[in-house]
Amino acid sequence: MTQVLDRERIAEWSTQEPQRPWTKKPVHLQVWIALAALLPAVVVALMFTYTDLPGPVLMVVVYLPLQLVASGFAALATKGRQGVADSVIIVNAIGATLFSFIILFSVLGSLIVRGFEALWGEDGFRSSFLVQNNVYINPSTPLEYGGLGHAVLGTLIIVAIASLIAVPIGIATAIYITEVRGRAVPYVRFFVQAMSGVPSIVAGLFILTVLIVSGAIGQSAFAGGLAYAILMLPTVARTAEEVLRLIPEDLRTGALALGSTRARVVLRVVIPAAKTGIITAIILGVARVIGETAPLLLTSLKSDQTVLNPFSDPIAALPTYIFDNVALPYPGAVTRAWGAALVLMVIVLILFTIARILGRDRLNKSR
Amino acid sequence: MSTAEYEGDVEVLEGEFADKRDVGPIELESRDVSVWFGQRKVLEGVNIACPKKTVTALIGPSGCGKSTYIRTLNRLHELIPGAALAGSVLYEGKDIYDTDVDPVHIRLKIGMVFQKPNPFPSMTIRGNVLSGLKLSGMKRDGHDEIVEQTLTAAGLWNEVKDRLDSAAGELSGGQQQRLVIARALAVQPHVLLMDEPCSALDPASTLKIEETIRELSKEITIVIVTHNMQQAVRVSDYTAFFLAAENEPGYVIEQGPTTDIFSNPRDQRTLDYVNGRFG
Repeated sequence: MTQVLDRERIAEWSTQEPQRPWTKKPVHLQVWIALAALLPAVVVALMFTYTDLPGPVLMVVVYLPLQLVASGFAALATKGRQGVADSVIIVNAIGATLFSFIILFSVLGSLIVRGFEALWGEDGFRSSFLVQNNVYINPSTPLEYGGLGHAVLGTLIIVAIASLIAVPIGIATAIYITEVRGRAVPYVRFFVQAMSGVPSIVAGLFILTVLIVSGAIGQSAFAGGLAYAILMLPTVARTAEEVLRLIPEDLRTGALALGSTRARVVLRVVIPAAKTGIITAIILGVARVIGETAPLLLTSLKSDQTVLNPFSDPIAALPTYIFDNVALPYPGAVTRAWGAALVLMVIVLILFTIARILGRDRLNKSR
Repeated sequence: MSTAEYEGDVEVLEGEFADKRDVGPIELESRDVSVWFGQRKVLEGVNIACPKKTVTALIGPSGCGKSTYIRTLNRLHELIPGAALAGSVLYEGKDIYDTDVDPVHIRLKIGMVFQKPNPFPSMTIRGNVLSGLKLSGMKRDGHDEIVEQTLTAAGLWNEVKDRLDSAAGELSGGQQQRLVIARALAVQPHVLLMDEPCSALDPASTLKIEETIRELSKEITIVIVTHNMQQAVRVSDYTAFFLAAENEPGYVIEQGPTTDIFSNPRDQRTLDYVNGRFG
């Protein structure tokens, strides 16, 4: 005899509240976690107050081992031997994460604090620093006058030239390796890997000796962009290769089975599926080069004026602007360098944000 | 509405499983289980009791919550972000969702085999069988015997006994699925959950796995999700029929001894489904 659905109970079931019992922890576990979190902190706080040991030493020598032991005991008491390994891994993971965050935020913090000295004065926000150029400015000129507008423009021009060259070649290389799968794949991959080891100054030297000294092109934004492209190419190619490799083979076979040519498989199926990853590859390529100084010192030189023609004259860029100013024995110039470093970072941040918005996967978002 | 086509099978089963009817203690039982993903309720009021050493089949069309339900039985459901649940799941009379229950312990006692065979590619056949012992930290002596015994139980021993140290990826799909069954058995679970274990396999492999299931049910309790109604008839003692209307949660429309569900259902929808009129 079977049992059928009892319709009268549906009303009763519909009053059920969704619960997540797995998020609740039993009281004794909560007590142990609280003890394991508080005791080491209290001990270190007391030692910090009553001994002369410096803070970093206390953190590394006392707090971390103590936290490991305390968490280990808590795990032993609540979950047995199996839990100890878990707790050691978790404590170390949290510790390492905190450590890298502290380093990251102290770099960001000093950059923001020192950088704002250039951007923010008694006269309020100095938009002039962002838009003016360096003409008629000497190292002792007050910060109210002059700025790095010309260097921002120069960096954007050079990076744009480099991207125009390196991104298509890089993606094409990745497509050759993952989609075309020609006979030269091992060699291409070997050279791309070897290229990623090229020191940035060698890229600059190459452009200098082969193209500039020979008289083919002058020292200009274009020369700088070529040097940047050499550095950008392997990053773009390798990252794009990785993301294309993640596209399941079934997708390609599926498209081929619909009578698609291989070119259309790549253009209509594989690349759209890997769009977010390819945009990441481009960002990583830009991030790889945007702060490089050495190649520009040899190829685009520097300038105090706003230069718009990428082929004619030496041009300023943010890294070279920082390099020049930070070496000067004037506090004002050093502050300008900090300001430029902050601006450089903000530009990278803006580029990343734009790329994220462009790369947002609209089909998968709505799910 | 001929149910005649099933009668042959049904009679055989009645002979074979007759002694299992109305048997023994309940091993695994869900009471008023409802399941949510985010705000969407996908399953409501599921009450299923699985007696010890029996096979319970969960049937129903795609998207009615069978796989979701089976994952609540060994606490894999909670790994999905946004997942929520109401009701209780009793294993040996104790709610597995109690706060003092360790999900690791539950998953050790209630094993699972998935739709796609998932042997660990970096391990050998032997390593795969013993992987559960390593991953759970469980101590069992006589690894060679365990390998032979579980592979035999999973119906794979004769095919792989000469190449236990070759990579698991070299096996065919059906062999891989039997390998992961052996892997699940090596930690000596009391219950084995199987989520469409044969859906990607050929008829010969399917038959082998069905034999394995019948053999295993002498020792352990099995819950199996299947789209194949003949399979439910062939392997199970009890059947629960799940159904969900569009944009509504799934319900267990009818459940009971497999023979009754297939030969004498009380709900018209069950009758239509088991006769292949929809789903």
